[in-house]
Amino acid sequence: MNSSKDKIPLRALLFRLGTLALVLALAAVWLLPVVAWAAGGGKPATKIFNVADTRAIEPGVSKWIADIYNSSLWLYGGLVVVMMAGMGFVLGYGMDRLVRLSGINLGKLDHHE
Amino acid sequence: MDIFNVYLPIAGLKFNVLLLLLIGTTVGVCGGFFGIGGAWIVTPALNIFGFPMPYAIGTDLAHMGGKSIVSTMRHSKFGNVDVRLAVSMIIGTTVGMELGAKLVMYLEQLGMAESVIRKIYVVFLLAIGSYVLYDYLSHVRRQKISESKKEEKVTYGTTLAQRLQRINLPPMIEFKTSRIRCSLWLPVLVGLVTGVVASVLGVGGGFIRMPALIYLVGCPTLVAVGTDLFEVMITGAYGAFTYGVKGRVDLLAAMWMLIGAAIGAQLGTVAVKYVRGYAIRLLFAVTIFIACASVLMKQLELQLASSVLILTAGIVISLVIITLLVRGVIQERRAVKNGNNLSL
Repeated sequence: MNSSKDKIPLRALLFRLGTLALVLALAAVWLLPVVAWAAGGGKPATKIFNVADTRAIEPGVSKWIADIYNSSLWLYGGLVVVMMAGMGFVLGYGMDRLVRLSGINLGKLDHHE
Repeated sequence: MDIFNVYLPIAGLKFNVLLLLLIGTTVGVCGGFFGIGGAWIVTPALNIFGFPMPYAIGTDLAHMGGKSIVSTMRHSKFGNVDVRLAVSMIIGTTVGMELGAKLVMYLEQLGMAESVIRKIYVVFLLAIGSYVLYDYLSHVRRQKISESKKEEKVTYGTTLAQRLQRINLPPMIEFKTSRIRCSLWLPVLVGLVTGVVASVLGVGGGFIRMPALIYLVGCPTLVAVGTDLFEVMITGAYGAFTYGVKGRVDLLAAMWMLIGAAIGAQLGTVAVKYVRGYAIRLLFAVTIFIACASVLMKQLELQLASSVLILTAGIVISLVIITLLVRGVIQERRAVKNGNNLSL
């Protein structure tokens, strides 16, 4: 299936990727604390009661979720599973179609090591 | 940047949507490529940006279930999911997780849960990472010997997995996708042990199950990745429900993360097409060592530095995987133009 002359040695490839990774890591190490600081940083607050404050929320998805949370946690638990599974299937199918449109061959793979 | 801030009513805080998408994409790429849930990236990442820890864990588990569906669908089409093997392991994993939870409660009663668990975690990560790295280096050495002795037949000893497969304990069962035949007790016991370990360490278990599937059950790397994701999907859904019922999942945050994770998971999963199994193992070993360093930093009470390290490492590893994918696609297109196929 593969022609060996077109292959770039794995070690050379990993070295190049390693260099790229190092540069990006250094950039990210500098950037992330800055973003964290800008986002508020500090010790996270903790809630004592399981109640979502809906007073400042306008009607919409957030309010709907918060209302279910406040009405029954069992219903909320069920909603979490259904939403995540539903979104997983829809997004999985949609992304699959998108990748297919890019022309990548998505047939079965050989399990070569 | 304020326009990207949304109020998350369950966690009770304002959060930047772009950050949620970034975290989701990062963990999606790593998860799809290595066959892991990625709690080690998401939980500290959400926590350093202000999420209280219980909400960070619950929200991570919720999005993990959805993200694993995306990856499992793709891996399944690639022929990388051995459903029969996954179901056999789930039986053991479930029992193992219950036993592990009881063990943790016992350690808590003795007042030594936290320190013991962290130490076991470090030892485990070091052991797995070292073995995977050793295996990769042995493979490279064997390849060199094979190339230098083209005419002679080079033989190697039997692996631990091959020895375990030979144990004739009924019922014997054939796993067609993995192309192995072994006693049903082998995957059940491997699931049990990895379940206990995952439960004691408080992690999803992908870190342990993926190498266990390769080195103990004898799966090809890609099948180990796909089959493990199938298990992560089940455990993620269970975790989402239990944490949801306890009110510790911010559904809105999980939905935003899942959008990013769906994109990342697709990229990470398609990337395995262009990378050989041993290259996945090498990157996996590197990832494990970074996770180990992060746990050690936590032990030294460098909480923020540990979280920054893990998030940074996640982003860098994702970029490496995406680079491999782009490079593979370009090479494939070039090869198709020239009329032949190739992979890395």
